[in-house]
Amino acid sequence: MRNDIVVLIGKQFFKKTFYNKGLFVLLSLFLIVLSYVTINGWNAFEQHDHIVEHHQEKERQSWEDNPDKHPHRMAHFGSFVFRLQHPLSIFDSGIESYTGNAIFLEAHKQHTANFSEASLSTGLVRFGDLNTAMLLQLILPLIIFFIGYSSVTSEKENGTLKIIYIQGASIKEVLFGKTIGLFLISALFFIPALIALWSISFLETHTTNSSIILRSVLISVCYLLFFFILCCITVIISAKSKNSNNALLTLLGGWLLLFIIIPKTAQVVGNLMYPNLSKIEFRSVIENEVLKQGDSHNPNDSHFNKLRDSVLQAHKVNDVKDLPFNYGGFLMSKGEEQTAKIYNNEHKKLIKTYKKQNSITNSLVLISPYLAIKNLSMGLSGTDFSTYTNFLLQTEQHRYMQSQYMNELQMKFISNKAKGSEGKVHVVKKEYWKSIPKFRYEYIPLSKTINNQLLTMVSLSIWLLVVLLIMTKFSNRFNII
Amino acid sequence: MYSLLVKQFFRSNTVWLAFGIIMILGILSIGTGKQFLTQKQEAIVKTIEKQEKQEELIKKQNQLRENDIGLLLYYLKFSFINPVQPLSGISIGQSDLNSHIQNVSILNLEGQKYDTDLVNPMRLQVGNLDLSFLIIFLFPLVIIALSFNVLSEETEKGTWRMITIQGTSPFKFLLMKLGIRILFISIALGILFLLSKFILGIPFTIDFLYIIMISYVYILFWFSLCFFVILLRKSSNTNAITLLVSWLLLVVFLPILVNNYITNKYPVDEAFTMTIKQRDEYHKRWDTDKKETMDKFYKHYPQFKKYELKKESFSWLWYYAMQQMGDDESQHEREDMYNKIKNRERLSNQMARFFPPLQVQLSMNNIAKTSLKHHINFLDETSNFHENLRLQFYPKIFENQKSSSVNWKNFKPEYFEIKSDFNVFKNVLYIILISLILIGVSVFKNLKYFN
Repeated sequence: MRNDIVVLIGKQFFKKTFYNKGLFVLLSLFLIVLSYVTINGWNAFEQHDHIVEHHQEKERQSWEDNPDKHPHRMAHFGSFVFRLQHPLSIFDSGIESYTGNAIFLEAHKQHTANFSEASLSTGLVRFGDLNTAMLLQLILPLIIFFIGYSSVTSEKENGTLKIIYIQGASIKEVLFGKTIGLFLISALFFIPALIALWSISFLETHTTNSSIILRSVLISVCYLLFFFILCCITVIISAKSKNSNNALLTLLGGWLLLFIIIPKTAQVVGNLMYPNLSKIEFRSVIENEVLKQGDSHNPNDSHFNKLRDSVLQAHKVNDVKDLPFNYGGFLMSKGEEQTAKIYNNEHKKLIKTYKKQNSITNSLVLISPYLAIKNLSMGLSGTDFSTYTNFLLQTEQHRYMQSQYMNELQMKFISNKAKGSEGKVHVVKKEYWKSIPKFRYEYIPLSKTINNQLLTMVSLSIWLLVVLLIMTKFSNRFNII
Repeated sequence: MYSLLVKQFFRSNTVWLAFGIIMILGILSIGTGKQFLTQKQEAIVKTIEKQEKQEELIKKQNQLRENDIGLLLYYLKFSFINPVQPLSGISIGQSDLNSHIQNVSILNLEGQKYDTDLVNPMRLQVGNLDLSFLIIFLFPLVIIALSFNVLSEETEKGTWRMITIQGTSPFKFLLMKLGIRILFISIALGILFLLSKFILGIPFTIDFLYIIMISYVYILFWFSLCFFVILLRKSSNTNAITLLVSWLLLVVFLPILVNNYITNKYPVDEAFTMTIKQRDEYHKRWDTDKKETMDKFYKHYPQFKKYELKKESFSWLWYYAMQQMGDDESQHEREDMYNKIKNRERLSNQMARFFPPLQVQLSMNNIAKTSLKHHINFLDETSNFHENLRLQFYPKIFENQKSSSVNWKNFKPEYFEIKSDFNVFKNVLYIILISLILIGVSVFKNLKYFN
C-alpha cells in the first residue's frame, strides 16, 4: 500500500465534502448544540455541586450543634449523605439521573438512597439525557453515516472508480483513503467535543482523587477508536453496496438496530431472566435471618441471653448493672454487627442480581461498538453502575462506623443504671459529636474501572482489527463496477 | 385498480420486514408489560401477607407488650398500596422508579415516605421497551420507510406520467396508495392492541379506548408529515433524509432538549432541605422544653388537649408529639418542594403541546396512571392514610389501653383510589391541529399540480 495515494484520496474526499454547503450547515448546528450542551451541563453541575455542598454543610452543622446527649439519641439522629457527582458527569451523565441523591444513615437501619432526579421528573425524562456523550454516541455516528454512505458508491455510480483503479490505485488504497478522509471530516465534529471534555478536566481540578486528567485521556482515546471504527464500517458498507440508496438503508438500519433496539432489548431480556427481589421481599429476607440468628431488641432472645451470660461470667458478676461498661451499648454494638453483616450479605446478593441483569448488555459489547463506547464512557466518567454501587458501599461503611462509635461512647460513658436515653442525666459531652469524621466520598479508583471495562476495551480493539483486516485482506472481493 | 395497488404493496419486501419487526418487538414489549405487572402484583401479595403475619406477631407478643401499646406501635407497619392498572403494562411511565407500596409506621412520615423500591438503575436508564415506546419511537420509522417514496418512486421510474394520462385523478391515486399504508399500519397496531388486551388482561374501558385513540391520532400525524414531505415533490433520497431528520429531531433530540431545559430550570433542592428539616425538628425536641412541644402538638390536635403530660420522665404522649413535629414543622419546605415539582409538571405539559411525541407519552402515562402527577397524588393520599392511623391510635396510646383491646384485624392494607381527570380532547387537540395544518398546506400548495 502506498501512503501517498492513500493521502491523496483522503485529501480529495475531505476537500470535496468540506466545501459542501450542507456540511457547513450541519457542522454549525452541531457546534451550536455542543456549546449549549456543554455550558448548560456545566452550569447544572456547578449548581448541583453547590446544592449538595450547601446541604451537606448544613446537615453537619446541625449534627455538631447537638447539645450534650445520650449517644444512642445521636445514633438515631443520624446523618445524611448527599451524593457528589464526578466532574466528568458534565461530559457523560451515565445513570446519574436514576441514582439516589440523598441517603440517611442511622443505627440499626439501612435506608435507600432517595430523591433521584428522575423520581422528581415527568415522563419526559425517559427520552434520555442531554450531554456531550449522547451527541457523540447517538448523533455523530448518524452524521458520519450520512456523510460517508456514498463515499465509494458515488464513485461507482459516476464510473470514476474504474478510472481510479485503472490509474493504478488498488481498492485497498481507495478504502483507506476514503476512511481517512471521512475520519478527518468527523474530526471536525468530535475535536470540539473533546476540547469541551478537556476544558472540563483542566478547570474542574478542585475535586480531589478524581484522576480527571488520566480519565480524560482514556476517554479521548476510546472515542477516537470508536469513530475510526465507524468510519471504516461506513466505507466498507459503501463499497459493498450496489448503490448509494442501499448503502444508506443498510447503515440506517444498522444504527437503529445496534444503537436503539438491541441495547433496550438486552436490558429487558436481562431483567426477564434474572428478576430481583422487591423491597418488601428483601426486607423480609433480612428480618427472617435476624430472627433466626437472634434479635437483640428482644429481651427474651436466647442467642443474646447466652451472650449476656458469657459476658457476666467473664467479668465474674451476676447482674449486667455490675459490669464495668454499659451493657446496653455493648448489646447494641453486637446487634449492629450482626444485622450489618446480614444486610451486607443480602445487599451483595442484590447487586449480584443486578450485575447478572446487566451481563446481557455487557456481553453484547462484542457485537455492538455503541454499547462498548457507552459503557467505557460511563465508566471512565465516573457515572456508571459500579461507581454507584461503590458509593452505596461507602455510605454503609460510614453508617456502621458512626453507629459503632456511638455504641462505644455509650459503653464507656453511660452508667449502667441509666434507664432511658432522655434528658440531661445520662449524656456524653457534645465535643464528641465533632470528633466523628465527616463522610468523605472516594471516587472508585481508575484502575478498578479499567479492570471492570477490560472486556469492553478488548472488544473495541477486536473491532478495529476486524475492520482493518476486512479492508486489507478482502478488498479484492469488492466490486469496482 | 385498488386490488392491484394492494398486490403491489404486499409484493415489497420492506412491508413484510416492517411487519415482522413490529410483531416481534410488539410481542416483546407486551411481554415487558406483563413482567412489570406481575412483579408489581407479586409485591402487593407479599405486602398483604406480611401485614397478616404482623397480626400473628402481635398476638405472640401480646404477653410482652400487652401493657405498652406505645412501644408496640413504634414497631408496627401499615401498608398503603397504589394498585397497578393493567394499562400501565402498555405505558409503564414513571411507575417503575417510584415505589407503589408504602409501608409506614405511625412515626414521623416524612422520613419514610420517599423510600424507593429496589430497581436496577441501569435498567431505568436504558428505559422500558413497552408498547408506548414502540408506538412513539418505532411506528414513525415504519411509516416513513413505507411511504417516503410513494410519489417520487413513480416519477423516478417514469410511471407517474402514465398515471396522469389515465384519466383518474392522480391525487386520488396518491391518496389510495397512502390509504393502503395507513390501513396496513392501523391493522398492525390493532393486532398489537388486541394482543395486549388479552395478555395484559385489560378491560374494555374508556381509558383503554383513549389510549387507542391517541395512538391512532399520533400515527395519522406521522402520515400527514409524510404526506407533506412527499408533496414537496423532491427525490426519494431527499424525502428519506428529510423525514429521518424530522424523526430524529421530534422523537430523539427535541424531547431530550426539552426535558433538560425543564430539569435545569427547576432544580428541586428543596427535597434536601425538607429531608434535613424533618429530622432536625423531631430530634431537637429531645433537648427543648417539653411544654413548647406539647403546645404545638395541642395546637395541631385540639381534641387531644385532655391528655396532659405527667411529670414522669418518659411518656409516649411526649414521644409521639416529638415525632409529629418532624412532619408538622417541615411543612413549609415540603410545600416548596411540591411546588417545584408542580412547576416541572406544568412546564412539561405546556411544552409538550408542540411536540406530538412528548404529548403522546405524557398522555399515555396520564391515562395509565403512571405519571409523576399520580405518584404525587399517591404520596398525598399516603399522608391522609397515615394521619388516619394516627387519629385512631393516638388516643389508645395516650390512654395506655391494652393492645388486646385493639381489633388488629381491622387494619388491612388499604388501596389508593385513583381519580382520573384526563381530558382527551385537550390532549389530542394540538396533534390534530398540527396534522391538519400539514395536510392543508401541502394540498393548497399542490392544487395546480394535480389539476
